[in-house]
Amino acid sequence: MNITIKNLEKQLDGQPVLRTIDLVIPEHKVLGIIGPNGSGKSTLLRCICRVLQPDGGAVLLDGRSLREYSPRQTARRMATVAQHNTYNFDFTVQDIVLMGRSPHKRAFERDDTQDYRIVSQSLAQVGMDGFQHRSFSSLSGGERQRVILARALAQQTPCLLLDEPTNHLDIRYQLQLMELVRGLGRTVITAVHDLNIAAMYCDTLVVMQAGCIVASGTPQEILTPALIRQVYGVQARVLADENGVPYILFRPECGTISK
Amino acid sequence: MKREKTRRTRCLQSRAGTTAAILLLAAGLMVSLIVAVTMGTTRLPVGQVYTVIRYELLHLVCGQPIPKKWAPGTAVHDVVWLIRLPRLVLAAAVGTSLSLCGVAMQAIVQNPLADPYILGVSSGAGLGVTLAVLLGVGTALGSNYVGLMAFAGALGISCAVVALANVGGRANSVKLLLAGSALAAVCGAGTQFLLYLRSADHADSEIMRWTMGSLSAADWPNNVVMLLVAGGGTAFFLTQCRTLNLMLLGDETAVTLGTDLHRYRILYLVVSSLMVGFAVYAAGAIGFVGLVVPHVVRLLFGTDHRRLVPLCALSGALFLLWADVLCRTILPGNEIPVGILTSLLGAPVFLCLMVRHRYGFGGGA
Repeated sequence: MNITIKNLEKQLDGQPVLRTIDLVIPEHKVLGIIGPNGSGKSTLLRCICRVLQPDGGAVLLDGRSLREYSPRQTARRMATVAQHNTYNFDFTVQDIVLMGRSPHKRAFERDDTQDYRIVSQSLAQVGMDGFQHRSFSSLSGGERQRVILARALAQQTPCLLLDEPTNHLDIRYQLQLMELVRGLGRTVITAVHDLNIAAMYCDTLVVMQAGCIVASGTPQEILTPALIRQVYGVQARVLADENGVPYILFRPECGTISK
Repeated sequence: MKREKTRRTRCLQSRAGTTAAILLLAAGLMVSLIVAVTMGTTRLPVGQVYTVIRYELLHLVCGQPIPKKWAPGTAVHDVVWLIRLPRLVLAAAVGTSLSLCGVAMQAIVQNPLADPYILGVSSGAGLGVTLAVLLGVGTALGSNYVGLMAFAGALGISCAVVALANVGGRANSVKLLLAGSALAAVCGAGTQFLLYLRSADHADSEIMRWTMGSLSAADWPNNVVMLLVAGGGTAFFLTQCRTLNLMLLGDETAVTLGTDLHRYRILYLVVSSLMVGFAVYAAGAIGFVGLVVPHVVRLLFGTDHRRLVPLCALSGALFLLWADVLCRTILPGNEIPVGILTSLLGAPVFLCLMVRHRYGFGGGA
């Protein structure tokens, strides 16, 4: 499935948040979106998963605008893990993950054994096996994040959209989650804060600043001290490990925050 | 101890547990109807009560004539067939409607505190009744104009709430809640103002019957309509369980899971207003059923609407049926408005369950 973003524009509260974004999403690769707070990463993802309607331009799925698809059709192609997941009502973990099957179901269709099998597989993949009957609200932030990822996996879509998926996770699960997502071989679009995580797990990086894409390329090309200084306004040293993966050290002694 | 409790809850929430509970409640409802029909202010021998019902049913089903001794006009027949049984059936239908609308409203506004009346429905009905009784508005609608005005008020306010919440962008739960509360306040104030200006003794008692709720006006022709509405509404919401579940997760999550909630929210609001409107028309405003029944069921069986909808429909019917029996029998020779009893009975049960189970209302236990 091909996802192309054409001249995408979006205003929130009268402020332009995205200004003419053009982007072709590489298939079966992990695309990382990096950039400072407020640069438009989440807004871009929310336009792609059709939570927000763009003010100009379009997101194209296989050449056709998102609006030509029903929400059900897009939900069979893209699954989303949002940044915040708190609900006013208490569900069990199994109820939550089963909802990932809803785009594949008609209104009155019952969940069958296959759905339950997919649910337990997805939970096992994120290391939440055995939590089926726990109440979602009793879980820790990281556990909730993994349950929501399991729900996205249960949607069985060719594309995954992740908005800072490693938030709330301890380092072990950060690595495990990114490893898992990468190993799926699906098209993944993820907003990332941690530049080292981005360097390790993304095939391509897109850098956003003030609603524009200012650079894109492989982590080696993108993660340079000059670009980090330009975009984030901080000093950093970039080393490379034995495989050439950039490793970023921030340098407080040089005056971390310039200007 | 705690583990045992978890296991018990899990057992209730399993599919077999739910089916068993539904069958049990359905059986309970049948038994309740049979038992409760023998209770009332007039003492009647149990055998006579069932004889009347048997002959009426035979008459209805096979067209067999009713023997003179039990025919319409005799005291036993009229008490059983024209007073007690219609009232019980009405209580069940109204109870089902109110608790199901509670479930729907809580989903529509994504707030566990919502009940059928939160969006101004009862205040609208109240204002309709006050206008009819005090100012004679709607007398042209026929002999039942007070009830019809209640219904019109309820439906009118629901439509106004939807329209207001859609001004300046799509309706969301917060806008619905705010529009509902504001219109409820306006209608409430209007009612109070009219009462203040023109308080007449006979009018007060009539308005009281509507604002506190009473099932005493039950009769078969109206019951048929109420049963159709309650049954139709239940059948409708049974097909909507998946969407109701998604509704509790909010608009954004629902879109990414393939459902645009906007039109469903309006559809559910219209269906709920119809159900509540007819319930108010038949029995006045009976509070608390729509709040307490869904929460008690959720507490025991979880939030999944595939369990919640059928279980709430049955529990609501049972709850209001017995509440009405109690308010006819608790004070000899005097009848308490059923709305007072549902609150007196429901609130402590609710609080007790809440404290014992550390029920988090979903906001985090």
